[in-house]
Amino acid sequence: MPTIPLLICDDSNMARKQLMKALPPEWDVSVTTATNGREGIEAIRQGLGRVVLLDLTMPDMDGYQTLAAIRAESLQTSVIVVSGDVQEEAVRRTLELGALAFLKKPADPDQLQQTLKRLGLLGESANQSLAPASIFDQSAISFNDAFRETVNVAMGRAAALLARVLGVFVRLPVPNVNMLEVGELHMALADAQANDRLTAVCQGYIGGGIAGEALLLFHDSEIADMAQLMKIDDADYSDMEMLLDLSSILIGACLSGIAEQLDIAFSQSHPQVLGLHSGIEELISLNERRWKKTLAVEISYSLEGYNIHFDLLMLFTEDSAELLSRKLAHMMS
Amino acid sequence: MNDRIDFKELHWLLTVTQSIDVGVVVLDQEYRVQVWNTFMENRSGILSYEASTRSFFSLFPEINERWLRNKLDSVITLGTPAFTIWEQRPFLVHFKSYQPITGQEDFMYQNTTMYPLRSTTGAVTHVCLVIYDVTDVATNRLQLQAANRELQKLSSTDRLTSLYNRGHWEEALRLEHARHVRYGTSAALVMFDIDHFKRVNDTYGHQCGDRVIQRVADVVREHIRDADIAGRYGGEEFAVLLPDTDRQGGAMFAERLRVAVEALEVMHEGEAIHCTISLGVADMTWPMDDHKMLIERADQALYESKKNGRNRVSVDASD
Repeated sequence: MPTIPLLICDDSNMARKQLMKALPPEWDVSVTTATNGREGIEAIRQGLGRVVLLDLTMPDMDGYQTLAAIRAESLQTSVIVVSGDVQEEAVRRTLELGALAFLKKPADPDQLQQTLKRLGLLGESANQSLAPASIFDQSAISFNDAFRETVNVAMGRAAALLARVLGVFVRLPVPNVNMLEVGELHMALADAQANDRLTAVCQGYIGGGIAGEALLLFHDSEIADMAQLMKIDDADYSDMEMLLDLSSILIGACLSGIAEQLDIAFSQSHPQVLGLHSGIEELISLNERRWKKTLAVEISYSLEGYNIHFDLLMLFTEDSAELLSRKLAHMMS
Repeated sequence: MNDRIDFKELHWLLTVTQSIDVGVVVLDQEYRVQVWNTFMENRSGILSYEASTRSFFSLFPEINERWLRNKLDSVITLGTPAFTIWEQRPFLVHFKSYQPITGQEDFMYQNTTMYPLRSTTGAVTHVCLVIYDVTDVATNRLQLQAANRELQKLSSTDRLTSLYNRGHWEEALRLEHARHVRYGTSAALVMFDIDHFKRVNDTYGHQCGDRVIQRVADVVREHIRDADIAGRYGGEEFAVLLPDTDRQGGAMFAERLRVAVEALEVMHEGEAIHCTISLGVADMTWPMDDHKMLIERADQALYESKKNGRNRVSVDASD
């Protein structure tokens, strides 16, 4: 059996490397990588992707669009989706679009092997082992990339819970990971705010020497719609409590997703409503004295079919960033 | 040997759980009590063996059962912790406060955490409910809020008249102007001062002058609507902002005020003192760059009233 052209299509360098490590060692493949759907389609056209391991959340052209393009051009390829977005609806949609299987991130080597075997893609196990140097590109994984991928997996799990609670499909963008100055955070928040008033639910977390606060920002104009989604018909259950419950689920799931990957556990504080119906300036002015820089993760969730968005900001203290970076490096080695 | 150490540690752990000053309750999936620590025993008056395997809802009938069921169910099915905080829900279960005699509250404010307990297979089989006594925090926060409200009131009102002070009043005018620019709403401004006030002060003394100012302020208060914003602008000068009113409406209000003050008698050592006011009215129908222009126009009209013999209303004539 000839060498199989394999395409790994994921915007994260770390995810690509994790996948390469997870490939069955005896599998005779030549690997090409792509960082978005557009590059991916180009590679498949050139015959570099008989088998494709495809991520869903990517900038430029995402996994769904890529699957649609493959179908539209009738490209001959077998696609396995490997995604952090593990909503049932995401699985259903990708299979409907022609993917042969769906694996959750980070991909488990055994599961990947079984899936490849089941789909008859492994071929007769050629006993030659591959020279790893030919596959592994040597570029180092940046901290931002590694952490973004970790968050990507965590937020996907959170979205899957949210989808279950609300009975909706949650649209997931690529998370933003940045070292931010206070001033920049102001701008990021001002962007989120646009013209609308915000309510923020804040929850502190700490574990393994890593500490921070999660801020979930809701637009006040959308709170009533959300209450409707939660099917609140209990006079004893206020909108604000609904926000707190929703926040606990999202923040809790995201944090446990991150903690699990880093092999730590976080304690969470009681949630707090920040600056009830106040402008965003007031939210941040509270903190300005205490810190100058923060490692910020921004995730914008939006609910398909509804005009509802909320932003999850996870702000890690400056000294946590260093610990995180060590943990991630350890995880990759 | 190892087993004995484990058993000893387990015993310690149980003692710790029993004696820490937070409530610890473990419920199974039918909401039946499995663990009930000393905090719970002491606060509820229900002993551990009495509570054991009884439904949490039957022990605390004050709980909204449907609400808590939803919450516990989400902990079990989603595997994420849930919380209640005293700001949203003062307490989960009604317990007496730790300071029944000197404390200000007769119940315990509570924060609670509910988190999933997993069996060795990873499935969520129980929920642990932790109840924190946050009465001190809540009492302090509530007192602070009350003090802040009082300060807010003090910093925005004029001591002598209890009308708004100039700073607060001008801020209100600025906001009204911003609304006008954005939404095209209208507002009228009435400014007035007491005629020959210096004469009152010189003849009867400052205390009497203050009385006159207070009584005029009372008249203003009696005449304004809820939405109107009346302030003391300077010594004997006043300003009233009338939202959603044009200058004709403002002039009618001003005239009623003028008549009422003219009829006012302020008694001083058996003598009835009379005073009059001169008023100026302007509104926002004329385009203006900022709120100060409205003050200028009303002030200009007030000056007209002074010039034309006092005790009268003048309306800004610009179009």
